[in-house]
Amino acid sequence: MVYTIRVATLEDCKDIYRMIMELAKHEKVSDQVKIAQRDLEQDGFSKNPFFQSIIAEVPEQHRSKDGHSKVGYALYFFAYSSWKGRSVYMEDLYVMPEYRGKGIGKALMSKIAQLGLAAGCNQLNFAVLNWNKESMDFYLSQGCWDVTTGLDYHCMRCEGPALEALARGDPKN
Amino acid sequence: MDFMIRAATPEDCKDISRMIMELAVYENMPDQVKISHEVLEQDGFCKNPFFHCLVAEVAEQYRTTEGYTVIGYALFFYTYSTWKGRSVYMEDLYVMPEFRGEFPGKGVGTALMSKVAQVCKEQQCVRLQFSVLNWNTPSLDFYKAKGAQDLTDSEGWHVLRFDGEALDKLAQMAPKN
Repeated sequence: MVYTIRVATLEDCKDIYRMIMELAKHEKVSDQVKIAQRDLEQDGFSKNPFFQSIIAEVPEQHRSKDGHSKVGYALYFFAYSSWKGRSVYMEDLYVMPEYRGKGIGKALMSKIAQLGLAAGCNQLNFAVLNWNKESMDFYLSQGCWDVTTGLDYHCMRCEGPALEALARGDPKN
Repeated sequence: MDFMIRAATPEDCKDISRMIMELAVYENMPDQVKISHEVLEQDGFCKNPFFHCLVAEVAEQYRTTEGYTVIGYALFFYTYSTWKGRSVYMEDLYVMPEFRGEFPGKGVGTALMSKVAQVCKEQQCVRLQFSVLNWNTPSLDFYKAKGAQDLTDSEGWHVLRFDGEALDKLAQMAPKN
């Protein structure tokens, strides 16, 4: 299936918000979402944004039965390690269920790795809930390591050759 | 003991770098520190800084035997929760051993952390998050005494967080300089 990954715009906030709610529902915590679409617009698209976002979009003929062509997103921000320097933190990665298994999630994550490296970052960190086996398996298969298991944190990281490979979008062997 | 908490300047980066190494030694991972004070200067004081830093400074008469008056720091940056909105992540909180524990709850570490909590409030951030190594009992005790939640125990993480009343209280404890 053809899809594009691009930087989000202000107009995408409606769909990002829709998908945030879908992800929260998947993680069984819908009542925990306290921000509104307006907050995303202010916080992501003002002079000093708190986050960056990228969108996965499909052409008209592949849109969902509800008419959505924006079928995935990733939300990230720049972070800092006092030991290693600049890093990027991926807060959310989400692909609508009916669009999974086509490489969109990997493409979104890869784009973040690319953008991170371009900005001088040497780590891509993110977090996964312990019981979310499907996501855990996916991330570990991409060359990440579990910082919590290794050092007493549950924070996942892509770095070094794995990060370079992710940025390049190497096919997984 | 007199001390003050203030925003770090580029000139403080040598001291911050020194203390980053001291903290890494305490955490048994000194070989993990890869960045220099020059990198800190670049990344913390450019047009769009990657982090913000507060330092704790003592009056001249309390300087260490090596001559240091900058004896603690807190390094943090803004983050985002797609559930809760603007947040702060406190990457490091460190006070040199000889300046710790004199007044539990009123000392240098508390003052630094309070100032960070204040910044949270000013910037409308609703969370203050940070991480602690599982074996670091003195630090875990320090944070829990301030109302922090251990999210790893409850959900499978070792991430600690301030929000709601505990955050307000912490912000109120900051020194008024």
